[in-house]
Amino acid sequence: MSFLNPWLLLAGLGIALPILAHLLNRQKVKRTDWAAMQFLNRNVRVRSRQIRLRDLLLLILRCVALLLLVLALSRPAWTGDASWLPGERRAGVVIAIDSSFSMGEAGAGTSRFDEALKRVEVIRGEMHPGDPVTLVMLGDQHRVILRNMAYDEERFEQALQELDAGPGALELGSAPKFLADLVTDMEAPQKEVYLITDGQATDWKQPSAQLRKALADLGTQAQVFVVPVPGEAANLAVTGLELVQGVLRKGTTARYQATVRNCGPAAASNIEVQCRVDGVEIDRKNIPLIAVGASETVSLFVPFHNPGATGITAEITGDGLAADNVRRTVAVVRDRVSVLCVDGSTGDAGRVVTAALLARADGVQGEDYVVRAVPWLSLPAENLEEVDVIIFADVPEITEEQAAQLERFVRKGSGLVWFGGDNVKPAAWNKLAASGANPLLPGEIGSRVDTSDALGAGKPLDPEMPDHTVCLPLLSLPEDLFSETRILRQFEVSPRASAFPILQLAGSGLPVLLEQSLGRGQVFMFTTTADTAWNNMALTPVFPMVMQQIVTYLSGREFERPRIVGDSLTLTYVEQPDASDAVFDTPSGETITVPVREVGGQFVALLEEAPEAGYYTARVSVQAAGLPIAVNVDPRESEVACLPEAELRANLEGLGLDVVTGDAELAAAIGTTRTGRSAWRVFMMAGLAFLVIEALFANRLLTRARRRKDQPVNPVPQEA
Amino acid sequence: MEHLPETYYLDPETLQRLGDLELIARELVEGLRVGSHRSPLKGFSTEFAHHRQYTPGDPIRDIDWRVFGRTERYYTKLYEAETNFDCHLLIDASASMTYASGKVSKLEYAKFLAAGLAYIVLKQRDSVGLSVFDSEVRAYLPPRSTMGILLQIDRLLRETKSVPRTTLAKQLHDIAVMVKRRSFVIVISDLLTGVDDVLGGLDHLRHDGHNVLVLHTLDPYEIQFPFDGLWRFDGLEQEEPVTTQPDRIREDYLGRFEEHCEALKAGCIASHIDYALVDTSRPLDAFLSEFFHERQETMNGGSAGAARP
Repeated sequence: MSFLNPWLLLAGLGIALPILAHLLNRQKVKRTDWAAMQFLNRNVRVRSRQIRLRDLLLLILRCVALLLLVLALSRPAWTGDASWLPGERRAGVVIAIDSSFSMGEAGAGTSRFDEALKRVEVIRGEMHPGDPVTLVMLGDQHRVILRNMAYDEERFEQALQELDAGPGALELGSAPKFLADLVTDMEAPQKEVYLITDGQATDWKQPSAQLRKALADLGTQAQVFVVPVPGEAANLAVTGLELVQGVLRKGTTARYQATVRNCGPAAASNIEVQCRVDGVEIDRKNIPLIAVGASETVSLFVPFHNPGATGITAEITGDGLAADNVRRTVAVVRDRVSVLCVDGSTGDAGRVVTAALLARADGVQGEDYVVRAVPWLSLPAENLEEVDVIIFADVPEITEEQAAQLERFVRKGSGLVWFGGDNVKPAAWNKLAASGANPLLPGEIGSRVDTSDALGAGKPLDPEMPDHTVCLPLLSLPEDLFSETRILRQFEVSPRASAFPILQLAGSGLPVLLEQSLGRGQVFMFTTTADTAWNNMALTPVFPMVMQQIVTYLSGREFERPRIVGDSLTLTYVEQPDASDAVFDTPSGETITVPVREVGGQFVALLEEAPEAGYYTARVSVQAAGLPIAVNVDPRESEVACLPEAELRANLEGLGLDVVTGDAELAAAIGTTRTGRSAWRVFMMAGLAFLVIEALFANRLLTRARRRKDQPVNPVPQEA
Repeated sequence: MEHLPETYYLDPETLQRLGDLELIARELVEGLRVGSHRSPLKGFSTEFAHHRQYTPGDPIRDIDWRVFGRTERYYTKLYEAETNFDCHLLIDASASMTYASGKVSKLEYAKFLAAGLAYIVLKQRDSVGLSVFDSEVRAYLPPRSTMGILLQIDRLLRETKSVPRTTLAKQLHDIAVMVKRRSFVIVISDLLTGVDDVLGGLDHLRHDGHNVLVLHTLDPYEIQFPFDGLWRFDGLEQEEPVTTQPDRIREDYLGRFEEHCEALKAGCIASHIDYALVDTSRPLDAFLSEFFHERQETMNGGSAGAARP
């Protein structure tokens, strides 16, 4: 026997009160000498004993009533098969439905999520009004729909009708702990957790030791049922849409690459990939065949006729799971891109940089793409307002005014690239651009380091962040070509906490390229030179590829990089905004107002979670123009193949979890395992009954006593 | 009362208020002196009784010559003699009489009552005596009509102490034997004993021709039984103590008490014995005034009280 509110048992000490009152009352016996003892004869003595017996009976009734009420409030419960035990078979139920977008798969006509709702109906059939129930949607962020609510059929039905599979992936690792916390909050004679999931192989095939332990812990706190609702494994997904070539300028055409993955068990053929720009189809490609588990890419050419933000979509049709059939990205098309190289070197750093930036098929300098190199002493004469990216190559130092000007330049959304060199005065740069709360440069410049070996050969590069836009084209280079790039000398740089290395020196781990966000812009810092003084980068294909990627990256805009459902969306301000709130419009048309906060000297508005896939619009105020943000589903979730039931059972064996499939098996499992009985009603009724009996009894005695008191006291005649 | 030396039970103010009261015997009493009470002896007084045929030796002056003129026979006129009476005050000094819910116990009240009655009796030039009894007759003062008897009564009352047990019936029998002349006997007792025994003793007195007045002296708590809470009653005459909640047995108690008093009253009526319940919470003079007035009224009306033999 257990108690759901065991601390209330302390109230049982209250039973001492009537006993104490009884004892105290007994102790207050007043004595008197008495002459008329003959009237207190045997009958009266017997009556006194009866009165004592009655008092004792009243005391017992009060104590029993109190005890029963305390027991009822303590919510006694027990588990066991003994049917003679009083109480109703009750359980607190936590229903957790996998709401990842794989649950939307409907290859067989009915989606997995709808199947899950059918299982919920079976569970509901075994619930009673008043039973504690918690309804959870598991996803990348678990959502509690109903928390520890007394079961009400109508309200529960209403909650169910508003549910649907979400666009996120299932974060299974955190689910057991999340559910365990909910179970702990629940007070019930028996606790049951129903984890209704499609049992995706990606999640359940090889559960980590940590996940197994968390599930086992959950199994100790509640009766856990894993209810698989498997579906078909066939699924095609657009898993990527990236800009691979071209500058986002008006009048140019950029090449985007869409990746389509066949996650199903059979090869897929004739897949049409449509490309839309702002909803208008501008390209369509056919993929003849995608092998099982393979991904195929198609190039989509997107012409930019107008400047401004443009939504680009790659979409396939005819697949059972719609959520991952589309991929979105945003391109912010500029009128022109201007790059200014400030050359402080004694060699030809400026020329090397300019050549690298213009060394592309369509990269001939023109009106809409300007790359200029100027001596560093001419910097004060330049109008930075017309420049998108500034490259400092071996510039000895800058003035304090220039440092402030550059900080504003970056903060408003432009880019800065910094190269080292023999002319650089580290102390001067560190003082003006590498110190303070939000320094301009990503790291503090240290001493020069000779990284060449005994033979005079430098060390090769190693991409620290291979997925970074800057590194992506390098991965396509042949290994030997990439390894030919050698760094002979560099500055030793201590990166800031907010900076992260993109390229580093193989073997030593010394950063070669660092990136840091500042306001709405970015700063790249090379710890070596742009020219060949300290390396041979300029002599290899690596340098133009990296430089062009950097310029494309820096000339892009804040929200060009697509987000994943569940990511946070951050709107960064150059200066303190007039409006105190930013506005995010969701793809479903909802408007979310987010306050602007100052974080680390910057003003940002943070939407903590993008709950759905599609195009969001971020606005600095209600009246301001919006910036589109593309939010896509997590492609990892596209592997919708489910683990076979036997394998799922095998994987969960020994964890104390029951795997039940189908409505009938689920109903039978509930009937078999639900042995928890709640007896508080029985105790409450009994306690109240005793209380009523005691009250009636006491009232009867009181009425008698009053009647006796009201009688005339002197019936004796005065004289005969 | 200035001529009385200092007494304990004779409070001048009380006696002053009792001065107008008169205790009249309901029935015939035998006295030695001419008084205000009817005597059973026919004599030469003013109240004509009846005629009797003359016998030698009768005084010639008592012959009714008018009857002789009409009948030529000698008849003598007989008159009812008025005489004084002997009043015997009998005080129960048993332990039960010591109960007092207030300041004055029943025994103390009885003593004051006896003293007051003695004064009234003496004031109307009758004789008064006092008997104090418990398990036996402790003291006896034969009736006297001199005021000096008051001092003896007062002294005797002061010396009277209670004893644990009493046998009231037996003492009444003993006193009936001791009192030879038909007298006025006033019994002051709580009568907390068997009704049959009490009535047996009283009947004995009645059988000997005494006028009997029973002053059933009780404490107001004994009459009302107004206790609340849990009480332990310790018997004054060595009864086993009883612990009870009086408010819950009050109904039973009062029923039994009423039954007891009704039986006493009925027995007294049947035996032509005057009966009065004395509540010790009442002022003595108030009780006596009320009692004497009511008694006077019943005697005049002749409808209440004991019937004449």
